[in-house]
Amino acid sequence: MEFFELGKISLLIGFGLIVLGFWGILSQKNIIKIILSFTIMETGVNILIVSLGYVKGKTAPIIDSAVEQGANHSVLGQVVDPVPQALVLTAIVIGFGTTALLLAYAMKLFKAKRTLQINNFNDLKW
Amino acid sequence: MSIYLKLGATLLGFLIVLNWGMLMSAIFRKIVARLAGRHGIPFYQPWIDLLKNIGIRTTLTHGVMFYLGPIFRFTGALGMFLFMPALFGSDLWANFSFQGDIVLILYFQLFGMLGMALGAGEGGHPHSTIGITRGLAQHAAIELPLTLGIIALAIQYQTLSLNEIIAAQQGGMANWSIFTNPVAGAAILLAALGAMGHSPFNLVKAPNEIPIGPPTEYHSTYLGVLMSSGAVLHVMEAALFMNLLFGGATSWPEFILKTFLIYFYSVFVGAVFPRFRIEQSVVWFFKIPLALGILAILLISF
Amino acid sequence: MVDPIYIIAAALGVGFAIGILGNIGRNFAGGLTLATIAFMSFVSAQWFAGFYFGNVSSSYIFTAGFQPPLSINLLMGAEEAFLTFIVNLLGLLGGIYLFVNFKRKGRNAFVIYLVLLMGFNVVIMTRDIFNLFVFLEITSIATAGLILIEKGNRAVGAGFKYLLATSIISSMLLIGIIFAYFYTGTLNIDMIIESNLRYMVGGPIIIFLILISAILELKPFPANGWGLDVYEGAHQGFSAIVSAGTATASLYMLYKLLPIASPEWSYYIALLGAVTFIGANLLGVKQRFARRVLAYSSVGQLGLLMLILGLRGFLGPNVNYVFFGILITNILAKTGFFWLVGIVKANEIKEWAIIRRKPFLLFLMGVFIFALVGFPPFPSFFSKWTFVMDLANHGLFGWISVIIIGSFLEAVYLMRWFGYAVKSEDDYKFDFKIQIHKITPIIILTALLFVIGYFTAQFTETGAMINFIPLLFVAVLYFADALPIWVKNTIAILGMGIYFYFTYPQLDNLRLIFEVIFIIGGILTLIAGYNYKGKRQGFYPVALLMFAGLAAIIEAQTTLEFFYGWELMTAGSYFLIIRGKKSMPHALSYMLFSLGGAYALLMAFSIANIGVVFPSLDILNNIANYPVWAYGLLLAGFLTKTASVGLHIWLPGAHGEAESDVSPMVSAILLKAGVFGVLLTLIGMGQSTYDLGTLAYILGWVGAITVFVGNLGAVFQEDAKRLLAYSSIGQLGYIVFAFAIMTHLGWLTGFTYTINHFMYKAVLFLTIGAVVLRVGTHNMYEMGGLIKRMPLAFIAVLIGIIALSGVPPLSGFTGKWLFYNAVIEKGWYFQGVLVFFSGGLAFLYLYRLIQTVFLGQLKDNLRNVKEISFWFLIPIYVLIIGLMVFAAMPQLVLQPLGTLIANYFPNNQLVWEGSYAYTAIGHWTGTGVMISIMVMFLGTLLLVKLSTRKAHKLKQFDIVFSGERPHRPETTHVAHNMYAGFYKAVWPFTLPAVETFWNWISDFIHETAGFVRRIYSGNGQAYMLHIVLFIIIMFFITIGGTI
Repeated sequence: MEFFELGKISLLIGFGLIVLGFWGILSQKNIIKIILSFTIMETGVNILIVSLGYVKGKTAPIIDSAVEQGANHSVLGQVVDPVPQALVLTAIVIGFGTTALLLAYAMKLFKAKRTLQINNFNDLKW
Repeated sequence: MSIYLKLGATLLGFLIVLNWGMLMSAIFRKIVARLAGRHGIPFYQPWIDLLKNIGIRTTLTHGVMFYLGPIFRFTGALGMFLFMPALFGSDLWANFSFQGDIVLILYFQLFGMLGMALGAGEGGHPHSTIGITRGLAQHAAIELPLTLGIIALAIQYQTLSLNEIIAAQQGGMANWSIFTNPVAGAAILLAALGAMGHSPFNLVKAPNEIPIGPPTEYHSTYLGVLMSSGAVLHVMEAALFMNLLFGGATSWPEFILKTFLIYFYSVFVGAVFPRFRIEQSVVWFFKIPLALGILAILLISF
Repeated sequence: MVDPIYIIAAALGVGFAIGILGNIGRNFAGGLTLATIAFMSFVSAQWFAGFYFGNVSSSYIFTAGFQPPLSINLLMGAEEAFLTFIVNLLGLLGGIYLFVNFKRKGRNAFVIYLVLLMGFNVVIMTRDIFNLFVFLEITSIATAGLILIEKGNRAVGAGFKYLLATSIISSMLLIGIIFAYFYTGTLNIDMIIESNLRYMVGGPIIIFLILISAILELKPFPANGWGLDVYEGAHQGFSAIVSAGTATASLYMLYKLLPIASPEWSYYIALLGAVTFIGANLLGVKQRFARRVLAYSSVGQLGLLMLILGLRGFLGPNVNYVFFGILITNILAKTGFFWLVGIVKANEIKEWAIIRRKPFLLFLMGVFIFALVGFPPFPSFFSKWTFVMDLANHGLFGWISVIIIGSFLEAVYLMRWFGYAVKSEDDYKFDFKIQIHKITPIIILTALLFVIGYFTAQFTETGAMINFIPLLFVAVLYFADALPIWVKNTIAILGMGIYFYFTYPQLDNLRLIFEVIFIIGGILTLIAGYNYKGKRQGFYPVALLMFAGLAAIIEAQTTLEFFYGWELMTAGSYFLIIRGKKSMPHALSYMLFSLGGAYALLMAFSIANIGVVFPSLDILNNIANYPVWAYGLLLAGFLTKTASVGLHIWLPGAHGEAESDVSPMVSAILLKAGVFGVLLTLIGMGQSTYDLGTLAYILGWVGAITVFVGNLGAVFQEDAKRLLAYSSIGQLGYIVFAFAIMTHLGWLTGFTYTINHFMYKAVLFLTIGAVVLRVGTHNMYEMGGLIKRMPLAFIAVLIGIIALSGVPPLSGFTGKWLFYNAVIEKGWYFQGVLVFFSGGLAFLYLYRLIQTVFLGQLKDNLRNVKEISFWFLIPIYVLIIGLMVFAAMPQLVLQPLGTLIANYFPNNQLVWEGSYAYTAIGHWTGTGVMISIMVMFLGTLLLVKLSTRKAHKLKQFDIVFSGERPHRPETTHVAHNMYAGFYKAVWPFTLPAVETFWNWISDFIHETAGFVRRIYSGNGQAYMLHIVLFIIIMFFITIGGTI
């Protein structure tokens, strides 16, 4: 099995982004940067999803000419798994929603205290 | 035996005890006076005092309870006599000891004390109350070695009945509890010092400092009644210890001799030892008498 | 049946419609929303009803016309129906509660709210794991959205943390889901379960990711700071929904996902539940703010539910009963409570005194707190009971301890809060208004709590045996609270009389004695209540609640009924006690000791219940498993009520500060409940095949030391009622000691003391209470000379103290005499002597009581006080007659008692010959002694009377003291620090060692809580770090070892 296989690389990239995102969330003090870190993590997860559905040498699960050509036996034999692709769309939408809401929060937080340092929002504790 | 005969004997016995008690208190005062280098009173002084007290014209009262105090006290003394057998082996002089055992006597002691305390309390004199608080505290402390000793005897004889305790001691001095059970005897006799209320345990009435504790406000007839009660109680307490430790009495002379010796044991101790303050006397009972009491139980039960 | 898909369809449709329609009126949008939620509730209610009556079966709903795995499917089963119904109903009520608030924010608020509810519904119903993820995210986003549009900045930070945390958790879930799909080729939960994912290489890691996310959604301790902040920060109407809805949905999500994993996961979840339950409740102890207290309580309850989920394998068929019982209680009570917080608007729990301005709200608060703590008749009581019984059947006592410790900690802060509400000073400027749309949902929830509680009880065989009629009577009195006092008092007395009339023929002699003490004694003390003027609001329901509990204890056939009665009695007496002026701390300590005792009982009952089919009260006889533990726990539990040494510190304050006619209720009557329990235990021990002598021996010493501690404590009191309270401790020590002797005579002594203490302590407490009402102080040194003003009260106290002190001829001596015989026969000399010595101490305090109150010098300000109230004199003198009869003819009572005791101890009975009693060693006649003493006393009186002239009556200061005639009563009345000399001798024994010990425990808990809670620094990143660390640690715990 060759090492630089596309599926594996993307898998690794996905994991890498997730770890990077986590690191960002935990280390960055600026709220915007935390949100960005979160989106990086999201992207990592999404890449993960797609790469798990990837089958080497298969084409996109869209019935077009590329599929028709090889469809001597069955359509399913020719395409990568369509489900992860559908899932990733949903995940992206949700990620979008979350990010938007987080940004809205960032706005309101900034309005409240004129700062974006997360350390300044410790009102409720203990 | 007819009930009247018995009642008559009991009444007669009571009169003997009353007069004997008065005589003893005279002797007591005489001895203490001689020790102090005074000549002292004549032996008939208590009778004179009694007559004088009863004959006094004015009687004052602070209220009903004040009035009833001496009556409680006298009832207590009477009951102490009534519930204890005066002479052993005689139906005539066994009094009403069939109505209860030693527990009754131990608790009935308190009847007079309590009533007296309440009567004195209504008198409103602070010295009365102070005396009573001391008396109660000391009494509680005495209770400890006394109860231990009595329980040791009760274990020894397997009875709480005073008659049976005396019966078990018959047949010579060697059978007396004081010799068969010397540790319990010692505990009881030390407690007896407190119960008799002579120095060093006489802070309750505290002669010379506070004028005479609980009876402060009592006078005339009340005082007469109290004096009579005191006389009876002195004899009966001595009789209690006699019955417990010294084989009881089978005749009046024996009764008188033994009660005399027991009573004057406490008098002589008092003549030698100075008075305790209340916390000292309480602590004193918590030391050697308590240890003796515990030892008595340990010896008898194991 | 309406297809459940319409729940989603309706919510989505209306949500979009409101969005699309644009500028429709806010009222219209809100109305439409509520109508939709009502429709959703209706659908799920319909299904729930179907399942309840058994005419429908679980059905799958396939979307898009395909079977899974090609489509998403939903399941409507019994559980789903119930949970969606609850969530939708709460949603509806919450919608009403929040209506005005949402209207202010605009129609979008309604839409988001609708979407949130839909999210809950789908999370509960869906069987598709990706769908689960999607709707979980939708609920998170909707939650965060609703917080965002809230006015003010208080919650914004919290919402941000919440959203960030849930998003990270969902991402973990998503990773797990996609790998699960990759391995199994399906997203359908049932198919994943079938695919045996856990046996595949790497499968455990996937399962770990999925489950850990589900667990994190449940806010496990300590990775839950983000959840706490939202509960605290968000609008109260909304926190309630988050608390109840999210909890329900997430719990059910975990429940659905659990079968994927290997069985060990149940164990981990139980463990996490335990940590959360105890951890959250521990930290709750240190909280000052109302909302945050509720937050900790919510998280704690989630922990408990996780615990149940983890241990469900041991519950067999009861799993739903237990789980849903606790869940529903928590949901209803917690939601109601959050909403109540929204109305009262007091921030700190100390400020909750303002709730008293609206007594009805106080009632609601009480219901919620007692439901949360797990009192009957609320569902959690029955569920916890079943839970503990089932756990014990499998020998899981460690888990039972967890439940007990956590519940206890929760009770600590909830009860403290309630105490503040009932009793702390209300001098706050701010006020609050009750709005109808806010109060109505709360009332509905409260009603539901009672109704569901009733049905929960009916659900089990033993629960159905419980007699709820007394409780109903209490409810009647509650609703009649506006009537004048004499009406209510009459109703109460009549009710108790009727109850006695109908129940006493069914009782055996043992129970009859206690029933007489409880009910007849109760009636007598209630008579004193006629003395009070006005309405005396709240008194009758709680007093009758206590008596209902006492009656239930007597009536109990099963351990459950007994425990039910015990808890009712505890609740009622707690309310009674806290009515006293300065009772707040004492009522709290009473409650905590009672609860501790109740939990010990629960544990003991559960041990006795092992392997038992029908838990009749007889299972306490000869407990076969762990008998020493079982009986030891039973005794410990009951000794909290009898206030034995070590567990007695609640009593002086509780009894001393109570109202005048309450003190005798809680002292003369209530303490006997503990005695009854001790007696039941000892009966059981007597029939045990094991040698439990050591236990009885220890009990004997406990009793003896209690006598000493109680009596010595009483000697140095300045407060009359506290003196009597300490005296009660001592007297109960006598009773415990006597019963522990475990012989015929010992028990006879115990019963004699029980009956005696009931009578003379009632006399003394009633009299002193009545005196206190007249003179307005408890301090004895502020009284004095009252014999002149209240001779009847004086006579009552005189007889009371003669009886108590054991001086012949009154009935106290009966007890003393039996005592000597029993002790010597048994051979417990040293304990016995300690008791007798303490009896000597009793004289000191009794003299102090009567001397400083009634004798000595009358104070100037009391010269015009009147005799104590007629209404107090009636019960007092009835009881005195009882005392006298018992003293003169003890055989009337002791002979039947002897027959009763002979059932248990046939040897060495007391022999009666007429009025003469004989034991092996002693003899005595009550009647004879009484006659002798009467004759002597009257004879002496006559003699003295004849020999004295008419006595001249003196005035108050006609004495000579220190060489002058005093003129101030204060300087002449010896009362304060009366036994100063004695104190110098015995002070080392009066040091409050037990108080110090319990204070140390309390400080330790508070300090620990104060230290641990610092992890919740408020910093969002710290919370994220908690989550990450939690995941890592859990990874190592769960599968770390196997890689």
